[in-house]
Amino acid sequence: MNSKSIRHYLLLNITWIMLCILPLTSQAQGLDFLRSTGKIYTVVVVIAIIFIGLAIYLIRLDNKLTKLENHIKNEQ
Amino acid sequence: MNRISEIFLKELVVEFRQKYALGGIFLFSATIVFLVYKVFNQVSGLEWSIMLWIITLFAGLNAIVKSFVQEKKETYLYYYSLFNPLELITAKLIYNVLFLGLLFISILIFMSLFLGFPVKDPFLFFLGSSLGLTGIAIILTFVSLIANSEQSGSTLMSVLSIPLILPIMMLLLKITAVSLRLISDTSVDQDVWMLAGIDAIMLGTVIVLFPLLWRS
Amino acid sequence: MIQKGMWWKLSGIIIFLYVLWGGLTIPLRPGITSITPSSAKTGDTVTLKATGYNTHFASVKKGRAWLKLDSIHAIKSLDWQSTDDNHVSLRFVLPQTLPNASEVFPLHLIIDNETDGAFVHPNALFLSSSIETLSFDAIPWTKHELSQFNDHQGIQFPYRSILNETIRNTFFHVALWFAMFLLLIFGVYYSIQYLRTADYDFDRKASAYTNIAVLYGIFGIVTGSVWAKFTWNTFWTNDVKLNMTAIALLIYLAYIILRGMNYDQDKRARLAAIYNIFAFIALIPLVFVIPRMTDSLHPGNGGNPALGGEDLDHTLRMFFYPSIIALFLIGKWIAELTIRFERVKDYFYLKNT
Repeated sequence: MNSKSIRHYLLLNITWIMLCILPLTSQAQGLDFLRSTGKIYTVVVVIAIIFIGLAIYLIRLDNKLTKLENHIKNEQ
Repeated sequence: MNRISEIFLKELVVEFRQKYALGGIFLFSATIVFLVYKVFNQVSGLEWSIMLWIITLFAGLNAIVKSFVQEKKETYLYYYSLFNPLELITAKLIYNVLFLGLLFISILIFMSLFLGFPVKDPFLFFLGSSLGLTGIAIILTFVSLIANSEQSGSTLMSVLSIPLILPIMMLLLKITAVSLRLISDTSVDQDVWMLAGIDAIMLGTVIVLFPLLWRS
Repeated sequence: MIQKGMWWKLSGIIIFLYVLWGGLTIPLRPGITSITPSSAKTGDTVTLKATGYNTHFASVKKGRAWLKLDSIHAIKSLDWQSTDDNHVSLRFVLPQTLPNASEVFPLHLIIDNETDGAFVHPNALFLSSSIETLSFDAIPWTKHELSQFNDHQGIQFPYRSILNETIRNTFFHVALWFAMFLLLIFGVYYSIQYLRTADYDFDRKASAYTNIAVLYGIFGIVTGSVWAKFTWNTFWTNDVKLNMTAIALLIYLAYIILRGMNYDQDKRARLAAIYNIFAFIALIPLVFVIPRMTDSLHPGNGGNPALGGEDLDHTLRMFFYPSIIALFLIGKWIAELTIRFERVKDYFYLKNT
């Protein structure tokens, strides 16, 4: 991994995670929603963050694999 | 022991041969202190302690980057045939600790001239400072060894070393605050021990890892 | 169909499903969310209106309640009137004297019935003495036998007044940190192996494990931040543990940057391995020692009980430890995929040059 792709990777991760949380937290309405029924939706958000994060990592790995496959195909 | 002092003396000679670079670092610290004085005019104890450590950190970073980056590949090969790694790292460490101490004292003198000397508990202050400076010197020496072989050495150096120095810095700021009587804390002894412990761990790790690093 | 070496990946998924199922479906123990009024004077007759959470007050036949002052002094409620499952009014005749001459006493409310079992709401009512009504014929504090409590049925997670349902985050947020540490240990192990054997494959492994650990660390920070927002009401506090983990992440991000430099392979691998070992050793005081010395909102700091005791009771343990294992196995799986990809890539480029 070169430094450019690291930057890319970090930026992607952080912006995605922020994008996922912001709509839930930036408005007062969203806050109330998350606090309802014993704050159970906070747990849901936490699980969603883990899941989305892992998914992003896997998508990136998938893209890299596709690129390598294309290289191999071109060689043959 | 003899050889350690030989290397140490050689470092000293090399350093003094480059009077410009050496003078530059001291001038840098004096200028920053003067700038702080002109901007703030009057500083509180908290600002004094923060300024002291920030200036020391960055002046030290500059100085130690130079100490390893200045040397050529051929010189290294020459050392490699001449000394064993343990002697070399010991001499380097002693030199860097003393150099950083000297830098710190000169910054302290400038600070006292322009901004006063608000320390109420000098023993604690100097004990904490010397332990903290030792830790910072160890980390900077180690990281400069990793970063030295690169063209972009100095940027890599600050990226690698500042996160490692941060915990020491936090303990140092706390000890300084206690010695300035800004906060009262009965468990400050624990912080001092903590600092000594971190120094010991870092020192042990550097000594174990240096021969591996040296081979390249 | 199922390949060799697949069993631990599948068991990771199955354990994680078990944690998800159990962690989300098992109910919380009943508890009290609020009580009015919150203060009273000695000699008053107060009617406490308690709002419950997960309680079944309406179906209660024989409900009892006490206000407890200390281990021997308590008073029993006169009656039990519940309007619905979550609301109950309790009438207490408060004694006119206090056992000693302090100004304000916190009283704990104990509720016991046959459906919910017994539970305590600490500091329910603050009792101050009204000096004017002090007389000798006051109703004394009875030395009640608090016994014959009902047990709650089935597995339930403990109820904590601010945490509420978010206590379930123990399985996801807290377990994430433990899994991160396991992955980091693997990374360091492979770094040491690399330095011993100079086999480049070990460098790939060390790098992949550290990468996934850093990813877990980022998840940990973000999920912790969300959790903090809804319990401590802020995204980021000046808590030592938060600062120290942020520093730890910075150290490892520096590792990733070092690993990404364009050196020749051998040198890069050696430098990265050495830095990784150094970083891991620097991490030990950072995460385990310094936070214990200072006050913190996290359990296990500043006199709070560590993991264990009341904060992690056996019902939480049933899912907490499996969750660590599951997250670790999933992380290991993803690291393994990265390693295999890197291996194929390096093989391909080596063949072509």
